[in-house]
Amino acid sequence: MSAVSSYAKALAVAAGRAVPIATRRHVYLSDRPLVFVPLALAGEANAPLAAMIGTSPHDPYMLLVPQPRNRDLRFGFAASLAEVVLAYVRSCTARFEVVGTDRLFLDAPQLLVPNAAGLGFVKLLGRSTRFRRTNGPYPVPAGVPLLGRWLTHLGERSEHPGSSAMLAMTQTLSAHWASGQSAVEDANLAALLGWIDPPEGVCGSEAALAAEDPLVWPPAGPSTDPAFDNEVLAPAIRAYQSATPDSPKRRRAVETLERELRGQMEPTWRLMWHAIKVLRRLPAAETVETRWTADRRDFSRYHDYLSTDGRPQARRDGAVAAARRLQSLEREQTTFDAARALDDPLVMASYRVTGEAFQGTVVSVDRNRRILSERGRRVTRPKVVVGTGDPVHLPVGESLRAPQRIKQNARITEIARSADGVLVTLELDGGMGRAAVPAPGSVPEVGDEITYTSVYPDAIRSPDLPPTDQTPWTHGGPPRPYVPTDDDAREAWE
Amino acid sequence: MDNLQERLRHIRGSAAEKRHNARTVAALTSNPGCARRAVLDAAGVDKDRLARHVGFPAKFGQSQFAITRGNAFEAQVKANGYAELLRLLRETLGLEIREVGSTNLEDVGGNTGQEVRHARSRQKLTSAAADPNAAATFYDHPLLRLDVGGSRVYLEPDLVAFHHDGVFHVVEIKSFAVIDNQADARKVAAAATQSAVYVLALRRLLGDDKVAHEVVLVCPKDFSNQPVATKVDVRKQLIVLNHQLSRLTRIESLVEALPPTLTLDLAPDDDGKFSRPAAEVIAALGEIEARYAPGCLATCEMAFFCRQEASGCTATLGLSVREELGGVETVAEALGLADGILVEGDDQAEVAAMLRTTARIFGSVAA
Amino acid sequence: MVFRVTSAAEALERRIDELRTAVRKAVTAGERERAMALRGALRRAEREWEDALDELADQPAVLVPRQAGPLLPLREQVHQALTLLGSPAAPKLIIAVHEAFHVGEMVPARLTSLRRDEERSFRSSPHSRPYYLCSALTADLLAPARGLLAVSTWPMALRVIGPLSPRVDFLNSAIRLAEHLDRIPEPGPTARRLLWRFAANIPGGAASADAMTPTVVAQAAEAELKIHRDADRSHREAAAKRARQLPDVEQLFGNRLRSISATGT
Repeated sequence: MSAVSSYAKALAVAAGRAVPIATRRHVYLSDRPLVFVPLALAGEANAPLAAMIGTSPHDPYMLLVPQPRNRDLRFGFAASLAEVVLAYVRSCTARFEVVGTDRLFLDAPQLLVPNAAGLGFVKLLGRSTRFRRTNGPYPVPAGVPLLGRWLTHLGERSEHPGSSAMLAMTQTLSAHWASGQSAVEDANLAALLGWIDPPEGVCGSEAALAAEDPLVWPPAGPSTDPAFDNEVLAPAIRAYQSATPDSPKRRRAVETLERELRGQMEPTWRLMWHAIKVLRRLPAAETVETRWTADRRDFSRYHDYLSTDGRPQARRDGAVAAARRLQSLEREQTTFDAARALDDPLVMASYRVTGEAFQGTVVSVDRNRRILSERGRRVTRPKVVVGTGDPVHLPVGESLRAPQRIKQNARITEIARSADGVLVTLELDGGMGRAAVPAPGSVPEVGDEITYTSVYPDAIRSPDLPPTDQTPWTHGGPPRPYVPTDDDAREAWE
Repeated sequence: MDNLQERLRHIRGSAAEKRHNARTVAALTSNPGCARRAVLDAAGVDKDRLARHVGFPAKFGQSQFAITRGNAFEAQVKANGYAELLRLLRETLGLEIREVGSTNLEDVGGNTGQEVRHARSRQKLTSAAADPNAAATFYDHPLLRLDVGGSRVYLEPDLVAFHHDGVFHVVEIKSFAVIDNQADARKVAAAATQSAVYVLALRRLLGDDKVAHEVVLVCPKDFSNQPVATKVDVRKQLIVLNHQLSRLTRIESLVEALPPTLTLDLAPDDDGKFSRPAAEVIAALGEIEARYAPGCLATCEMAFFCRQEASGCTATLGLSVREELGGVETVAEALGLADGILVEGDDQAEVAAMLRTTARIFGSVAA
Repeated sequence: MVFRVTSAAEALERRIDELRTAVRKAVTAGERERAMALRGALRRAEREWEDALDELADQPAVLVPRQAGPLLPLREQVHQALTLLGSPAAPKLIIAVHEAFHVGEMVPARLTSLRRDEERSFRSSPHSRPYYLCSALTADLLAPARGLLAVSTWPMALRVIGPLSPRVDFLNSAIRLAEHLDRIPEPGPTARRLLWRFAANIPGGAASADAMTPTVVAQAAEAELKIHRDADRSHREAAAKRARQLPDVEQLFGNRLRSISATGT
C-alpha cells in the first residue's frame, strides 16, 4: 500500500466508486485465455469438487466429482481436466517462429482464476498429480501426470512479478483500481467488481454490500459457502452414495449435484468474463508485450523440455536454490515496478510523492554545451533546468531517466529549493546522435512538461535470460538431477 | 470488585452466560484494544444472537465436511490404543517404551458435567505431576479451567502427554495438511495460539516448569490420512496471551465508565422471541466503544455491525492504509486536509503536508 | 439418460428446491428455529420424492446377480471377529477384521446399536443366550469403556481396561492376527493391509508393507508386550476383583447407577 493508493481508496469511499490507480493495463490479456473456476471440498487438503473451465464465456466445460473422497472419481476429474488443459496448451503451439536455434511459439497459455486461493488450488492440484504414474500399482488415467507438470509450471510462473501466464483476477483488478473497502474485502471478486463496475443506478458501495450475500453471489471458491455445504451438498452427496450404481436415484443425485454446483459457479464465471471486459478497456502498457514475450519464451522452453526429458519438478528447492530464487524474484519485482512507472504516469505518481521522481517544466536549456571528457575528448553534454513543485528527495549526482527519453542519462548537478518549488539542474548524456550538435528533438525544449525518475530497469528491451547452462530447470534448462522415487507415485495406505 | 460480576450480569441480561473456549480466548489477542469486545466477552454475551438482533447477522458457519474430517482424523490417530499417536510421540518426544498408559477424561463414568470432569482432570494431572512413576502417559481430552477477566473458561485440549522427565506436552490434532513439510501459515498460527491457551491453563494448574512451551501438532501428511507430528514453540504466543489476559483486569475500569443501567438484554418473551427493540440495543451498544478493523470480519460476530458503524472511518480501509493516510480518523478529514479545505491541527502539520502533496500529484495525473 | 417423470415428482422437486433456498436464507440470516422447521419440511418432501421416484423407476430387465447377504447374523459376525482378536475392540476394528477374513458386508450403523440391543436382551431374559456382546469396563470406575465391545464369556480380567490395557490389547491382537494370517492359505491384500496397520505402529514390526512378515510382527509385538504385561495384569486383576462384586448386568454392561449423565452446569 503506497500513499497514492491509500489516498485513492479514500477518494473511492467518498465517490462511492472505485478510483483508477493506473491509466494502462499492465498485464497481458490473451485473446483466448483459459478461465478456470474451481471448487474444492471443505476440510480436505485438495479434494476437487467441481470446476468450470473454458476459453469463451459461452459453453464452459463443467466437471464435477460426485463423491470427492473417492480416489477413482477424483482422478477421473483430473483426467477430464487434463483433456481440456492439454488441448489448450497444444493449441498454443500451433504457430511458432525460429529464433536462432530455438523455436519460439507465437502464443502461450494464460490461465485466469478468480482469486489468490484459486492460485493455491492450481498449485496444490499440480502437486498432487505430477508425481503420479499411469502404470504400476496405483495408476492414474493418461494425461494426469502431464497436467500436474503444467499446473505446477503455471503456478511457478505466477510467482514471477510481471508474468501473465497465470493471474488471479482479484489481484489484477486491485492493481489497477482502488476500491473503497479494505484489502481483505477486495479478495471477494463480486464485491471488488461491484466497486469497479457497478450495475446501472447502483453505487459501488451498495453493489459491494449486495455481493456479500452468498445466496445471490456464491463465493468465488475454491471454498464453498458452509450453509450450502450443510443444506445442499451434503444431502446430495449422501444420496449419491446410498444409491446403487446405474439406478435412477443415482442419476438423479448426479443431476442434482450438477445443477446445484453449476449454480454455485455460474455467477463467478460471469464475473470473470466481466472482469476481463473491464480490463480490456484499458490500453495495454508499452512493456506488456515485452514481458509476454518472456512468458512465451518460457513456455516454449518448458514445452520442449517436457517433450525430451519430462521429469516432474522436485518437491522443494534446496536451500541454495531457494535463496537464489528469492533474490531473483525480488529483482524482478523492482524491474516490474520501475517498468510500470515508466509506462504509466499514474503509477509514476507514487515515486513523485516519495521524491524518487519528479514532474515539472523545463525552465532553461543549454543545448550546445560541450565539455572535455575524462579521456580528453570534447563531448556534448547539454544542461537543462527543470522547475517542479514535487518534493525532490534525490542527491546531487544521481542518474535519472525520462520515460520519453529512456536512453538518455540525466545526472543531477544542482538542486535549488525555494518557497516556489525546486529547480533541478541536469546534465544530459546519450540519445542525441553522433554529431557535434544534438539531433533535433533529442534534447528537451523550454516549456516542455517532463518527468524524471531515479527508478528504471537496467535493461529495458527484452529481459536477458541467463545462458543455457545456468538456466534453472524450471525454465527448461538442464534439469538438476531429480529422480522421482517410488515413494512419489505411491498411494499412502490408510 | 464483586460489583463487577453484578454489573457484567446486568449487562448480559437474562440470557445464560455464553461459554468460552480456547478459540475465543485466543481471539482476545487479535483485537485487544476493543472495549466493546472485551466487555461483551467478559459479560458472556452471545454475540451471534446480538448481531442478528440488531440486523447484522454474522456469516460464520462451519461446513460439516470440515467437522467430519477433523473428527475422523482425530479418531484415527487415537484408535487402537493410540497406536499412531504413540508411534509419533515416541519419535517426537522421545517417550520410553514403557510409557504407554492412558487415561480418558472425556467423561467420568458417563457423567459429562463440566465441574465433575474438571475436578477429575485436575486430580489426575496434579497427582501425575506429584508422582511421575504412577502417572499415565496420555491424558485424553482433559478439561482444564482458566480464569479470564473474572469468568471461568473451560478448555479442552485434544490430548496432554506426560513425559518421564516430569514435563507435560499439549498435543493438538488438526486436519489441515502438511505438504512437503509446509502448512498454511495462518492455520499453523491459529493452532499455535490456541495451544498456547492450553499451555497457559496447564501452567496455572501445575506450575510453569511442569509444562513445556513446545506443543505437538499432529496433521495429515501431504494428500493422505497419514499423520505427521511437528513440535511448535509457542513462547511468543504465551507472552502475548499473558499480556492480554493481564490487561483484561482493566475490564473493571471499562465497565465503571459505562452507564450503570446499561444492559444488552434482548428481553425474550414467553415464546422465546426477543422483544427489545433493536434501536434500543443499538443505542446501548453505542455506549461501549468499539475498535473496528477489517480483521474483525473473520473473528468476531459483531464485525458487520461495527463495520457499518465505522463507515467513513479510515479504519475500515485497514491499518496500513490508515497509517499511510497519516493516522487520520475519518476519510472526510483525510480528504479535507488533502484538499487544503480543513485547517490542520498543531500536531498535524506533517501529515497535512504529505496529504496535500499526494492529492496534488495524484490530481495532476488523474485529471 | 432420460427416464419418465410424472408431474407429481416434478412438483415435489420444485418444492424441494424452494425449501432448500428457504433453509439457506434462514441459516444465512441466522434464523435458527425457522431453519429447523424448514429442514423438517424439506426432509419430508425429499422422502416423498424418493418414494415417487421408486415407484416410477423403469428397471431394465437385466439379470442382476443377487448380492449375497450375510451368511451369519450380525452378532455372530461380531463374535467371530472379537474371538479372533482376543481382546475388547472398537467397531471400526471389528469391521476391518471381518472384511479381511470373511465374506459379506458388515454395516457400521448397525454396530452402534448392538451393545444397547444386547443389554436389553440380557435384561429381559438374563443368561438365556450362550454369549452376549457386552461392554468392557474402565478399571477405576467400572463404567462402560467408550467405544469398546467385548464378549461376555471372557474372564472378567480381560473385560476390564486399565491404563495400559489399550496398548496391551493392541499388541495382543497383533499377535493373534499375525498367527491367523500364517494359518490361512491365501490371506489376500485386505488382510495384509490390516496387519500392516498394526505392524507400522509396533517398533520393529516391519520395515515396509511389502517386507512385512507375520512372524516378525508377532515377535515384535511380543517383545513390547513383555514390558507391559505384568503391570497391566495386576491392574486388571485388582479391577476384576471389584467388578465381580457388581450385579451380573453391571458386570457385563457397566456400572450405571452412579453414572448420571448430566447436562453439566
